Amino acid sequence: MVETLQNLYLGFSTALTPMNFFYGFMGCLIGTLVGVLPGVGPLAGISLLLPTTFGLNPTSAIILLAGIYYGAMYGGSTTSILMRIPGEAASVMTCIDGYAMAQKGRAGPALAISAIGSYVAGTGSVIGLMLLAPPLAKYALRFGPPEYFSLLVLGLLVLGYMTGGSMVKNLAMIVLGLLLGMIGIDHFTGYFRFSYGVVALGDGIGIVPVAVGLFGISEILMTAGQSIRPEVIKPRLKDLLPSKQELRDSVAPIGRGSLLGFLIGIIPGSAHIISTFISYAVERRVSKHPEKFGKGAIEGVAGPESANNAASCGALVPMLALGVPTGPIPAVLLAALMVHGINPGPMLIKEQPVIFWGLIASMYVGNFILLLLNLPLVGIFVNLLRIPYKILYPTILMLCVVGVYAVNSSLVDVWIMTVMGILGYVLRKYDFEPAPMVLGVVLAPIIEMSFRQALAMSAGSYLIFVQRPISVIFFMAALAMILLAMKPLVRKGKDWRERLTKAEKDEKT
Amino acid sequence: MMTHRKSIVVLMAVLVGAGLLGLIPKLAVAQEAYPTRPVQVIVPFPPGGVADLVARPLAAAMEKILKQPVVVANKTGAGGAVGMQAAAVSKADGYTLMVALSSISVMPEVDKIFGRPQTYKMEDFAPIALLTSDPTILVIKKEAPWKNVADFVEDAKRRPNEIKYASSGVYGTMHVAMEMFAHAAGIKLRHIPTAGGGPALTALLGGHVESLSGGPNVSIPHIKAGTLRVLAGWGGKRLPALPDVPTLKELGYEDAEFYIWSGLFAPRATPPAVIKVLREATRQAVSAPEFKSAMEKMETPISYMDADEFKKFWDKDAQRLAKAVRQIGKVE
Repeated sequence: MVETLQNLYLGFSTALTPMNFFYGFMGCLIGTLVGVLPGVGPLAGISLLLPTTFGLNPTSAIILLAGIYYGAMYGGSTTSILMRIPGEAASVMTCIDGYAMAQKGRAGPALAISAIGSYVAGTGSVIGLMLLAPPLAKYALRFGPPEYFSLLVLGLLVLGYMTGGSMVKNLAMIVLGLLLGMIGIDHFTGYFRFSYGVVALGDGIGIVPVAVGLFGISEILMTAGQSIRPEVIKPRLKDLLPSKQELRDSVAPIGRGSLLGFLIGIIPGSAHIISTFISYAVERRVSKHPEKFGKGAIEGVAGPESANNAASCGALVPMLALGVPTGPIPAVLLAALMVHGINPGPMLIKEQPVIFWGLIASMYVGNFILLLLNLPLVGIFVNLLRIPYKILYPTILMLCVVGVYAVNSSLVDVWIMTVMGILGYVLRKYDFEPAPMVLGVVLAPIIEMSFRQALAMSAGSYLIFVQRPISVIFFMAALAMILLAMKPLVRKGKDWRERLTKAEKDEKT
Repeated sequence: MMTHRKSIVVLMAVLVGAGLLGLIPKLAVAQEAYPTRPVQVIVPFPPGGVADLVARPLAAAMEKILKQPVVVANKTGAGGAVGMQAAAVSKADGYTLMVALSSISVMPEVDKIFGRPQTYKMEDFAPIALLTSDPTILVIKKEAPWKNVADFVEDAKRRPNEIKYASSGVYGTMHVAMEMFAHAAGIKLRHIPTAGGGPALTALLGGHVESLSGGPNVSIPHIKAGTLRVLAGWGGKRLPALPDVPTLKELGYEDAEFYIWSGLFAPRATPPAVIKVLREATRQAVSAPEFKSAMEKMETPISYMDADEFKKFWDKDAQRLAKAVRQIGKVE
């Protein structure tokens, strides 16, 4: 304990030097910006700025880049809430209830709660990172392909179970998403699947253009297609801050979202996206009024927004404790250290205490800066909604095109976004929810990869999924979910889903 | 109406005038020596990868020699195919170059195996210089039972297709290198492809696979920390950083030679005069102190070769890789 405090003192004396404080602040600012802009996500932001850090010292470099990473998680919710455009992939779930709140004139509270939730989650998981990084990293490494697959199966079941509205429609959307996710090079044989000779489709159709198209572009088309022009929502000052009730309702979701996000974030891979929809599902399941989800429930914003922040911090655990790049973003962060002659490995924390503790301290400071930065911005962002649609929407459209193009400088991506926008418009005309489809696109390659890797490990034996303890636990939980869903078959009384459907019907009439 | 037409005439005049003005500097430029405007270096891999981390210091050093900005552009996708194709079809005027890795020789061969149109041909490129090259090393977990390569091979012979190795992806460097060795040793190993070099290393550290063929700079910290052990290297000679580790060639596996190398390329039809300027600039750039120290920090050895020598090296290396890819064949 004493040692931790000493180290923390070292960390703060590193992070609070004027230079490092400046780079931390810049990182947070750029991160917020990167998160706000549709299309440009944290990976693109960090990648673009990596070369500029070559001239800095390694501590400043990693402080700056990490700032962009977690800063983007704060900014990502802004456009989701205001315009239903996910600023980055981990904000897809926020679109649902965040935007519904904005339409009711509660954009201010939604933005404020997501900033507060992000702050709590960010700071909480830095504490976790600081105290538990080495043992947690070992736990993370035990997550191999079979464990990953079982987690995803559980995730999909949770998703199917929690969704409101027509279950058939939601399942259809998930399957459509999974099918679209099949496009691209088969990672096991090298075949190009459904790419029709377009080399740029080799890596699949990409989450960013799909999410921006299905949500953002379709929303613009919907508004343009309405015969009665929607009224511009004029926020009042008292509507900027969350009410006492909203704050109370958010406490538990923020806590759960933080814990869930941190634990899932540690797992190697793009787990921060998975954490958001699991958090959304959990919140809906435990909620006393699940019928409000999708219509502006604050819990649907607080949970996922806390989860993605905590997960982004969790992803740093294996990176710092073991020096392994478990995903694309940690890989770029580690490269920033490598160009300075620091070869990251399991000895990183011991050999480079200034970097590790400096980064930790900078994250405490950075999260605080982000809170101070984002809360006043709520007022400014909400006022963006005052802009008349004829100016606002063309501007958003332009930002979407530029943002999506910028990620890979690829026109193919812009076309994908356009097609997805039209598809999204049609789907919404027929009352299909696009979120499950986006998740399908995100999850398809990961599910397939982990499933086939697991079977390759076992030479084709399915027993591998029940021989490994973590995987067994997830499958048991999945089985429990299926049994719960079947309960009404054997016992009288209504189950959760039926009650939900009934409550939704009551509300309509 | 009249004013409207007038304004159109004025607009046209302005446009034509501007066009002519624009032409004048262009005509003048044609006389001047290359380069007269910024040079773009395409890197077909994401920022932070080997190619990117070599290209950026090189670009910085070349900028000073060419007296023109040299800009690195990451054009990623489909394991590098997107960027390499873009470089292959770009204008051959010396303003678009490319830093690529050894995998440049693999993809056309894979396309052949699948009988699909080639995304690019190796003949689309003129080699300018070899920049770095690093043999991969055979890494295993600390607890693994094998003390040396002979143990490993013997065990693999006893249990064919049982020992697992992770790779950065099918036909990727880590896959081709391992299959080269497996073929030379007459053993069969089980291949677990992952989404990249990082995830492959993660799989080994987590004990989900038993071995891999990886780049020395990312593996050595784990070897030093005692979590991983190294059995052999794929180089023509031993690595300076690991003097006690034998090469597979030394151990009698003659065909197991593999390097992750990076080189500078231009589109084939680039004028010889321009290539000459680029060769000279690259020669100076690789011995510039800032490039040297950048490579030293990343523990990536510079192994510079000028165009002709590089061409010979590349041809030989491409033959080796093509052979290995054909041996792998279609993966089912």
